[in-house]
Amino acid sequence: MIDSQKAKEVLLQAQELACTRGDRRLFESLEFSLSEAECLHVIGSNGSGKTSLLRIIAGINHPTKGRITWSGKPVLNNHSSDTEFLANLAYLGHKDGLKNELTSVENLSFYRRLENTFDPNQIDRDLAQMGILEHADISVGKLSFGQRRRLAFARLLRSEFKLWILDEPFTGVDAEGRELIEQICLEHLATSGAIILTNHQSLEGSSLAPHLSELRL
Amino acid sequence: MNSTFILFCRREWQLLFRNTANLVQPLCFFVIITLLFPFSLPLENELLSRIGGGVIWVSAVLAILMSLDAMFKADYNDGALEQWLMHPRSLPIAMLAKVFIHWVATGLLLTLFSPVLSMAFRIPTDQIWVLFIGLLLGTPSLSLIGAIGAALTVSLHRGGVLLAVIILPLYIPILIFGAGMITQSSLGASIDSQVYALIAILTLAITLTPFAIAGALRITIE
Repeated sequence: MIDSQKAKEVLLQAQELACTRGDRRLFESLEFSLSEAECLHVIGSNGSGKTSLLRIIAGINHPTKGRITWSGKPVLNNHSSDTEFLANLAYLGHKDGLKNELTSVENLSFYRRLENTFDPNQIDRDLAQMGILEHADISVGKLSFGQRRRLAFARLLRSEFKLWILDEPFTGVDAEGRELIEQICLEHLATSGAIILTNHQSLEGSSLAPHLSELRL
Repeated sequence: MNSTFILFCRREWQLLFRNTANLVQPLCFFVIITLLFPFSLPLENELLSRIGGGVIWVSAVLAILMSLDAMFKADYNDGALEQWLMHPRSLPIAMLAKVFIHWVATGLLLTLFSPVLSMAFRIPTDQIWVLFIGLLLGTPSLSLIGAIGAALTVSLHRGGVLLAVIILPLYIPILIFGAGMITQSSLGASIDSQVYALIAILTLAITLTPFAIAGALRITIE
């Protein structure tokens, strides 16, 4: 296992990362690295800063201290202007960024157009893969939570995203949906992508286990 | 077809007609507030036509102020703002597109309705034009400046009052020049200086506020 990991390129590296929320120190001198085909499971109790860490990596929040490097190059301190890095990652948090008023296809098309990868046939294929093609023309507000979640994942099905940052990806999905999400995660890892995720339950028994590494906050 | 501005305009335009409340509410508010004045003031011929322009301006400012609170709320609540924040595409340009469509749905619509309302105040025809041009040049600045306040208060549950306190003082210059135009023209004087002032404010607003809006959003969404 260690040998096979060595050959893989290190994608993301965090050094001396620290985060303070108000007066509370969430974590400090946090160090970790993430290689291709690796799934990093961030573990911690409620309020230990899991979501904050994920948002810092995604560039939505700023760390109090520390450095992040991507493929060996330091990510600019002002994350938001580092378009090269940002183009590589997809973040899916508690909120999914989907518009209630628009249909599944319209929601997905907007994001694909933003990412310059719009292709109507591909969108149909992605929706079919997530098993929600029959709801393609229903406004997202009428979908169930689990279906919404599947649609949110359909957005990630793009090879340009090397790093998926998933906050509680299995919350609110049924067993079938969970299997599906694990499946696309595995496919993503197989194409030398990487995943950082948080989850309350252990993932040891899941199909992701061979790729798994853990980070305790 | 893939420029950030066009993409966001299209999306906002689509959303506008899926959720027509945002389109209808400010307009109704504007019309009703304006029409309360002819009903409540003494029926002196001169009085209404003298104050009409000012009343329409104040109503327009209030209607736009009322619509600001919802500007980023939905995008904040469903996480779309987070996605844009971490997107390689330019956030200021995206926000400029958003504000542009907001203006079309509020400011432009109010401006188009203002000549009709002017009749209730018996404003002379040549001054209706002055009012129209003033609103056309002034309301985009109102939307742009207001968006900064909307961005700053987006994470607050009841940010409406705070938003008004932050934004209304900034609206005063636009109100002075906009309403001043009508007074000026009723005296038969030239309105060039006010037009230039409004254009100058608008130019500044278009070039600077998108960055302020983007900055405000980055600070607020922590």
